[in-house]
Amino acid sequence: MIALFWANLKMMVRNRQATFWALFFPLIFVVVFGLFDFDGLGSSRVAIVAEADSPVVSQVIGGLAAIHALDVREEVGPAFPLNVANGRLQVEQGDLDYLLVLPPDPGPSDGEQSTRTPATLVYASGDRGRNQLVIGAVRDILAQAGSGAPAGSSAMDSQASPGTGDGLLHSEAVEVSQVSYFDQVLMGLVAMGIMTNAIISISVRISNYRNLSILKRLLVTPLPIWKYFVGEVGAHLMVALVQAAIIMSVGVLVFGAKIHGNLAWILVIVVLGSLVFLNIGFIVSGWTNNPAAASGMGNAIALPMMFFAGTFFPTAALPWVLPYVAEALPLTPMLVALRDVANAGEPLWNTWPQLAILGGWVLATGAVATKVFRFN
Amino acid sequence: MEYAVQVENLVKRYGSFNAVDDISFDVQQGEIFGILGPNGAGKTTTLEITEGLLKPTGGSVTVLGMDLARNAKQVKSRIGVQLQSAAYFDYLSLREILGLLGTFYPRATPAKDLLQQVDLVDQAGMRLRQLSGGQKQRFTVAASLVNQPDLVILDEPTTGLDPQARRSLWSLIRQIHEQNITIVLTTHYMEEAQTLCQRLAIMDQGRLVAVDTPANLVGRLDVGYNVKVVLSRPLSAEQAAAFNGKVKLAEAHSESLNGTTYLFRLENTSTMLAGVLEQLEQTGSALEHLDITPVTLEDVFLTLTGNELREEH
Repeated sequence: MIALFWANLKMMVRNRQATFWALFFPLIFVVVFGLFDFDGLGSSRVAIVAEADSPVVSQVIGGLAAIHALDVREEVGPAFPLNVANGRLQVEQGDLDYLLVLPPDPGPSDGEQSTRTPATLVYASGDRGRNQLVIGAVRDILAQAGSGAPAGSSAMDSQASPGTGDGLLHSEAVEVSQVSYFDQVLMGLVAMGIMTNAIISISVRISNYRNLSILKRLLVTPLPIWKYFVGEVGAHLMVALVQAAIIMSVGVLVFGAKIHGNLAWILVIVVLGSLVFLNIGFIVSGWTNNPAAASGMGNAIALPMMFFAGTFFPTAALPWVLPYVAEALPLTPMLVALRDVANAGEPLWNTWPQLAILGGWVLATGAVATKVFRFN
Repeated sequence: MEYAVQVENLVKRYGSFNAVDDISFDVQQGEIFGILGPNGAGKTTTLEITEGLLKPTGGSVTVLGMDLARNAKQVKSRIGVQLQSAAYFDYLSLREILGLLGTFYPRATPAKDLLQQVDLVDQAGMRLRQLSGGQKQRFTVAASLVNQPDLVILDEPTTGLDPQARRSLWSLIRQIHEQNITIVLTTHYMEEAQTLCQRLAIMDQGRLVAVDTPANLVGRLDVGYNVKVVLSRPLSAEQAAAFNGKVKLAEAHSESLNGTTYLFRLENTSTMLAGVLEQLEQTGSALEHLDITPVTLEDVFLTLTGNELREEH
């Protein structure tokens, strides 16, 4: 069995073309997605929280809302403490870029600036340039609102008098692990590469072996045939791990992606997911009669799954019942688990629902594979 | 243990089609046993049942004294098999393939020794696809010897080979036979069956037509030799018919092959040929060519099955 494992590994390494393309395919996507600056697009999300409305509050909201690059949400009302706590959490989780907490009583609008309780700006550390711009703009607006000067028209270019709002704003950076779109896509590409390689490589190999009577030749030896399958699966798992490592390395080293989770846990998910897709590969080989057909059917399964399971886009963006279809695909739990661990830095056991679903998929596809597998 | 293989009332049915139709035969220890028949005769099916690849519909097979139905694994570890047109792993060298196969068996001959035996030492590091047809066949024979088997089963080992490669494979098979290994092979080449096999089973349409030594099979026919004559002009229907009455002709009688070429199968008696020649002279047609050949397995096969044995599909 060990001999079979090494022999299979050797054969896969020597089949350079197939191995190269199996690796190259997801790497093309890594490069394409790595070159786009998705996070540079769109606006920064700001939430303004105040307990009660006042002229100053209105002026600040109006002033910030007028800034084109900011997407402003206002929460004014008695739920103030809860809103502050929520907002803080959202900043920490990366769902919100800025939280501006306006004090319950901004103070007399015509009084000394220093008597006013300062407002607090909670922001995610990371994009320093953007943070400086936003802090300056908020400070400026606060100063203008306090001084009774017309607000709203100032926008970001009114930083000419930066010192004026000093006592009015207390800014507070929150250390958050910035998860960029590319970080998430990178995990999608890891899963995609493993899925396509597992399904297509196994189905084409088995189909080829069957057509060449190699499987038959193994059957006339006393080798228990399960050992052959263990050797085959073991070699493919090894390749899957190497593949995942290469894709992640290119993403991190070349395109500056960040992986926050534990690498060993990522590899555990990779192995579990690989088992599902290897089983699907065995099923495809049982349903087709030659390597070309196996490759075609393998692609027909892998490519739609790649899109529907949310490799590149959130499944919530899918129309109609398709988000539910996406939930039913085996790639989805693998992607969710990979992103929870790699992007959100969660421990492996927090992803147990996904791991359980993947485990179920391993058993179900294994049962079907055993049923439809053919030696002749 | 007297028999290497005992086949009793073996039946393999696919739906209503009888691939193997109630056949029984024995293969003795240490002999080269051939199964001869056209494509679709049931040769490969019989072998694949014997190798444990196919389950028979009925009957039993005993290999090396072990009931195949109950001891398939033990049987497999003691037989060597060359499948019809079986390939091996691409991307492994000959040496590596033999080494890998060896790990499947309790005992194994080192790859180097096997390659030496089939004269492929220089190709040890090559891939199978780099070999010629004859080398490939020699390699698959070597692969069947990896477990030091007591019985080797070769399915059409020489099909598709040129005459020289075929002869080289025959001598390899004889070498293996000299190591006291029993060999069962299938073929549809008469010459091969006659020169290589000590005993033969002739199969046709799933049935066993005869089992005997090549010499006995030929001797079974009441025919000693074939006489082919080419005449200056064709015989009339009357003249041709006259031979049936006067001369005892075997099975196919006289048949027109090419207008003026006639074939007679004659008993092995001293007066028979003289009688035919005399009668031909009386027809007034001059004898342009005369060819006398001994009866071969081909004639036996024709007689037993009524079918031509074609080499290819």
